[in-house]
Amino acid sequence: MRPENYEAQRQPPSYDYELNIGPNHPGIEGNYAFKLRLNGDRVIAARADAGYLHRGFEKLMEGRLWIQNLAITPRICVPDPVPMEVSYCLAVEDLCGLVVPERAQWLRVLQLELSRIAAHLFIFGGHAATTGMYTPMFWGIADRDLILDLFEEMTGGRVYHIYNIPGGVRRDLPDGFGERVTNTLDYLESRLPDYDNLLFTNQVFVHRARGCGPISQQQALEWGVTGPNLRATGLKFDVRRDDPYLVYDQLEFEIPTEEPGDAWARALVRRREIKESIRIIRQVVARLPTLAGPIRCPIPNPLAWNVPAGSTYTRVESSKGELAWYVVSDGGERPYRTHVRGPSQMHAVQVLEQLAIGCRIEDVAQIMFSLDACPPEVDR
Amino acid sequence: MTNELTTWLDTLLAELEGIRVRRTSRRRLRVDVASDALPALLELLRGRASFVHLSAISCVDWIDAGQFELVYHCWSYEIQSLVSVHTRIPREPGVYISVYDIYRPAAFFERDIHEMFGVWFEGSPDLSRFILTEWDGPPPMRKDFDSEAWVNQHFDWQDYHPDWLKDLETRGGGIAVPPDEQRFSRRNVDET
Repeated sequence: MRPENYEAQRQPPSYDYELNIGPNHPGIEGNYAFKLRLNGDRVIAARADAGYLHRGFEKLMEGRLWIQNLAITPRICVPDPVPMEVSYCLAVEDLCGLVVPERAQWLRVLQLELSRIAAHLFIFGGHAATTGMYTPMFWGIADRDLILDLFEEMTGGRVYHIYNIPGGVRRDLPDGFGERVTNTLDYLESRLPDYDNLLFTNQVFVHRARGCGPISQQQALEWGVTGPNLRATGLKFDVRRDDPYLVYDQLEFEIPTEEPGDAWARALVRRREIKESIRIIRQVVARLPTLAGPIRCPIPNPLAWNVPAGSTYTRVESSKGELAWYVVSDGGERPYRTHVRGPSQMHAVQVLEQLAIGCRIEDVAQIMFSLDACPPEVDR
Repeated sequence: MTNELTTWLDTLLAELEGIRVRRTSRRRLRVDVASDALPALLELLRGRASFVHLSAISCVDWIDAGQFELVYHCWSYEIQSLVSVHTRIPREPGVYISVYDIYRPAAFFERDIHEMFGVWFEGSPDLSRFILTEWDGPPPMRKDFDSEAWVNQHFDWQDYHPDWLKDLETRGGGIAVPPDEQRFSRRNVDET
């Protein structure tokens, strides 16, 4: 039919329909679902639907020994497991009053920052893929694999490391590891201009990402948004600097911020954070040979370990934002209660539901990936 | 700056009844408050002392005392301190007031606590099921909920006897590995 002969059928003004995206969908990160109410291709209401990854970890941890729970903690967030381990260990150390040797603290920072780069590369590629560009995704996953190789050598595990234990870390670095880290960092740094050329100067990405899902600073504070999403609205806040843990107060690094608060700004903040993490790791690698000494402090028999009664709230900065554990002990061999506050609990549910309203259907996936929503953190 | 906060909170002692303040570390403050004074305290913290960020609400089930402990973790971007406000409510009937009007993130945490502990928050915008959508049992995070007993009561242990395994089982084994393929058996080690 020629366009001039085509007469559009008029729909009643209330014509809208519902669309369920997920739980297994290329536009959704992890197993998560969205019930979208649409008018044409405009979203008029969105409702998050979680629970596909609920494994009851908080309940499970109440029935296990303090040391056994280490196997559970990294599984709460799959792409960025290290902050989970570290913050749980920090909580147990705080309750017991353990002092972690300095070398172990630097090793933890090394692992945390490697994990941050890996998680940023992962989401960075995922974000590009939602705008139809798959090359950055393949590159991101391939480059992330080099960090997983380092993890494998350092900890024995590629995805879940369980490298940290209360009181320190499990083992020291292999010989010549610092050199291999430096080589990988050199390679990653040389890749960054390629990423810029491929993605950040790419007009498709610029047009799709600019102005997509904007959050103002006031909204971000009101809705409890943290991490790169908060920094993309211009607020210079980072738990590593403002509520320092481990040895972050001895390290030099910038906190990148951007003003607009849209998907573009969020991607750019992550891109700049990769560079800062590389800078931190270089300092750690330079510092580690000067630090001799133990990698963990003596702890009681972990199979009969009564942690003193009390409660603590430990926060770390994960790649997605503020991550915290509230751990309560009643003086027993098992935690009385553990509660994890994942950063995605804020931006994957309430914020995403708000931001989706009014945008077009193809932008929903982009908003989710640009916020770096991590469903396992929501479900636990 | 942080010292200022403690003096400020000290003066608050006169305003609110039943409040106890304890500094646990340089950036952490523990406040114990009666349940009816908590919303007023949070409002003062947010409005007068810049604690704009509600980091989390945690719930602890103290079953022996017959109480739920609710902990509100508030962070100030300016003072750079975290105040954990602890309060206790009776376990039965487990009803409390929502702080959604003070902190928006409370909606998620209250929904979660309602689902996992069965605490009802008056005035919370949405307490519908979120994670346990098809769950019809008691709230699972309560201490009197025994997961293992629930599983034994509601599910059957299944026997797994597929056809391909049947003649192996009649020969008296599970999965048979020929002796020369048994790489880790003790006997092979002894022979070599």
